Amino acid sequence: MAAVPEPPSDGPSPSPSPSPAAPAPAPAPAPAPASPAPPPSPSPSPTLAVKAEAVESPGEGGRPAAGAAGPSPGPGPGPELSERHTLLAVLQFLKKNRFREAEETLRREASVQEALDDALRAAGPRGPDSVHQPDVSSVLSAYSNQGDPSLYEEYYSGLKAFIEAALDALKAELASLLYPVFVHLYLELVYNEHEREARHFFHRYHGDQEGYYQDDLRVLAGLSKKEHMQGNETVLDFRTSKFVLRISRDSYQCLKRHLQERHNNQIWNIVQEHLFIDVFDGMPRSKQQIELTSGGMAGEAKREANKTKVFFGLLKEPEIELPLDDEDEEGENEEGKPKKKKPKKDSLGAKSKKQDPNAPPQNRIPLPELKDSDKLDKIMIMKEATKRVKLGPDCLPSICFYTFLNAYQGLTAVDFTDDSSLIAGGFADSTVRVWSVTPKKLRSVKGATDLSLIDKESEDVLERIMDEKSACEFKMLLGHGGPVYGTSFSPDRNYLLSSSEDGTVRLWSLQTFTCLVGYKGHNYPVWDTQFSPYGYYFISGGHDRVARLWVTDHYQPLRIFSGHLSDVTCTRFHPNSNYVVTGSADRTIRLWDVLNGNCVRILTGHKGPIHSLVFSPNGRYLASGATDGRVLLWDIGHGLLVGELKGHTDTVYALKFSRDGEILASGSMDHTVKMWDTVKAFEDLETDDFSTATGHINLSDNSQELLLGSYLTKSTPVIGLHFTRRNLLLAAGAYNPQ
Amino acid sequence: MAAPKSVPRDAQVMAQILKDMGITEYEPRVINQMLEFTYRYVTTILEDAKIYSSHAKKASVDADDVRLAIQCRMDHSFTSPPPRDFLLEIARQKNQNPLPLIKPYAGPRLPPDRYCLTAPNYKLKSVHKKVTSSAGRITVPRLSVGACVTSRPSTPTLGTPSSQTVAVTAKVGTPASLAGQRFTVQIPSSQATVKPATGISSTTSVQNVLINPSLIGSKNILITTNMVSNPSNTTELNPLKRKHEDDDDYDAS
Repeated sequence: MAAVPEPPSDGPSPSPSPSPAAPAPAPAPAPAPASPAPPPSPSPSPTLAVKAEAVESPGEGGRPAAGAAGPSPGPGPGPELSERHTLLAVLQFLKKNRFREAEETLRREASVQEALDDALRAAGPRGPDSVHQPDVSSVLSAYSNQGDPSLYEEYYSGLKAFIEAALDALKAELASLLYPVFVHLYLELVYNEHEREARHFFHRYHGDQEGYYQDDLRVLAGLSKKEHMQGNETVLDFRTSKFVLRISRDSYQCLKRHLQERHNNQIWNIVQEHLFIDVFDGMPRSKQQIELTSGGMAGEAKREANKTKVFFGLLKEPEIELPLDDEDEEGENEEGKPKKKKPKKDSLGAKSKKQDPNAPPQNRIPLPELKDSDKLDKIMIMKEATKRVKLGPDCLPSICFYTFLNAYQGLTAVDFTDDSSLIAGGFADSTVRVWSVTPKKLRSVKGATDLSLIDKESEDVLERIMDEKSACEFKMLLGHGGPVYGTSFSPDRNYLLSSSEDGTVRLWSLQTFTCLVGYKGHNYPVWDTQFSPYGYYFISGGHDRVARLWVTDHYQPLRIFSGHLSDVTCTRFHPNSNYVVTGSADRTIRLWDVLNGNCVRILTGHKGPIHSLVFSPNGRYLASGATDGRVLLWDIGHGLLVGELKGHTDTVYALKFSRDGEILASGSMDHTVKMWDTVKAFEDLETDDFSTATGHINLSDNSQELLLGSYLTKSTPVIGLHFTRRNLLLAAGAYNPQ
Repeated sequence: MAAPKSVPRDAQVMAQILKDMGITEYEPRVINQMLEFTYRYVTTILEDAKIYSSHAKKASVDADDVRLAIQCRMDHSFTSPPPRDFLLEIARQKNQNPLPLIKPYAGPRLPPDRYCLTAPNYKLKSVHKKVTSSAGRITVPRLSVGACVTSRPSTPTLGTPSSQTVAVTAKVGTPASLAGQRFTVQIPSSQATVKPATGISSTTSVQNVLINPSLIGSKNILITTNMVSNPSNTTELNPLKRKHEDDDDYDAS
């Protein structure tokens, strides 16, 4: 006997093996063998449960179609193939329900011993996989449904022909179906080890896909064997997550009708199992509108993903009394809280006692208390704010460019302190160097014995603790084991963070210029790190596709933000420190809530990995830059794309809003710094419910009007930008002589 | 000088591989580096396969041996990031815990000392050696060698020494398989008094080990410790160390 009737709680891999040889007609009798298999399986349960629902639904969906699709899956292979498959399915059913004698009799009469052995032998090589890597095989066994491999090209070309023949209004939406179907068909062929057919299929149709998918297609072209799939985490993630498509109801019904009427069960299976079609009621979108939000590796974002309320307002500034002898003549109101020029919300003046409805409660997340030195800093900030230059289209900021010479393309990260006194550069030779921008040199604190000698009560104790002998222009910090990809100063200028390819994030003290802590968690390169605007918290994102939230006094992260399909390349805090935004190589941007680690927004639209993110000073908007050279503007409250700034021709590595948010500066690998008018970009936005519900986005192509200035450097890609407190723009990059 | 030689076939194959994978711009040395890597990888695999086949007493190396060799090496060197469901699961567990409250006025907020890199990693040999006459409390600071592996930084240190042991281990030889990795030699400060490098006050004695820095960096670390005595057992707190009353899980795991 070929196989003992195993109890249903056994792993899924042996049991569906005969039946998956049966394509379309099989779903009708298939629910019986499929249903015992999924539920009680232990560890890979989440993915398997998904598969179970997916497998059963083609059963139900297939049953009304089974009558029509009964005879054969396609014109080519004749009835004997389908009958054999039906036979195998029936045998499987009998085996499952332990009708041994009936099974024996049927098998004898139909003489299908060889067929079963073949099928089981095919399952054989999969067996050890399931023992070795149970989760991977369960993920990949989603491909155990297979049709005849030589028919796949016909399925695909049939779908293409149907779309070409569809109504013009629906064509654009239906065409977005082609890419996921293509990828899943290809992966099914690879998984079922039909290498030749897979390669032929790929070769014939990969040129039809959109340009922005070319990177993913190149990765796929390298996968020609099943073993390749198992090592590639991104491909596996692509399989378990459903590709999201948003199409209108008309298109959906047209598609459904087509897939159910013809013998297209293979494609229908794929649509059911691997695609999530988010249907909206409204006009179908045009090609242009779809282009704006497409590009994400797993399609667009579902509507439910962007529904959570986001507190994008800013936290209230603490009340600080100005010293009485201050000659700041900006009036103080009764509470002693000076009026600030920076408009935080639409309320006039700083007297608003009412809570901004969009601001989070003050104690939503614990924040460190304000120390005396912080209060002094805040007073300095307020004083500088009064001397700030007001920027606008007719008053552009001056740009001061710091060029790193002789860096030999080794400069990989740059950061400025908030008061613009220090610059940190992270290099490919694993060093971090800190320079002083002001004439004041860098000094480290004296040693312990000397410190015990000074008078602690004297007024200038903060200068006395500094060791004059150690004054120099720049300090080099050694300790990392690989190129340093991210640097971030703490707001109180005491610490510097650096993240590196060696998988650690290091905290350096800027008073002793030594390394204090190495935070190990990512075991893979960490691409970016940033301190919270209030200090104490910091985030890091790396190659392991997660971003982590840490605090300086815990050696393990507090939050893990997992959900991206590919590396997290850029991580930023929101000005109110309650949210974290991450940009990834899967071309999506996700906004995460620090309190509970949930993803509250998914934003798609970029056509390349995202390398820069910045929030507007009022917290409402987000600007992002990617390798496609576009800068996109998003409204966080609604989760919609509200602006697109075209102009750069290469990756945008640096973005910064001016202090009051009127100007957005962008620096790119094409050696330019461009300035954009954001007041105009954000005025009269239409973010009504219609566009939120349907995703219809109408952007006016006004990039040229918004571009206020474009400044070319001498072959120096710009990787860092910073507005000083008085609105002078600082930029940094390494001179690249080629 | 003869006419330039044609590019060897291996280099041509490598260039073709790079082209197929979509890499069009690369420095010419990349091909050399890739060839070196390929050669080293294949040689390692085949050597391992030879070992496996001789262990199985086979006459020659066959495909199964090679397959086994590849599998073992893959788990060791070419790891991939954890799968998504695993990440989601640990994220769910971590994100359930509420954010800890922040204690005000706590000075520099750093993790417990054992997780910091602030401990001194050397001690100075003092000028005068004192021979103890009291009841043989010989304190020998034992050294712990932490190995930092670049590809997989696992936790280094071995346990902190207890000050009461009379340790005889004078030589720490590291196996040759740790070749090519970096070491940090951390001597956790024992309960004996430790003074920083800048000054040694003459009041308390401090004694110890001179580590020849030129030995660090070679594959086998030869470390000799001077057995010294510590007559005074005053545990004077290092002025550089912060006082942590609530130093949680310092020695607990």
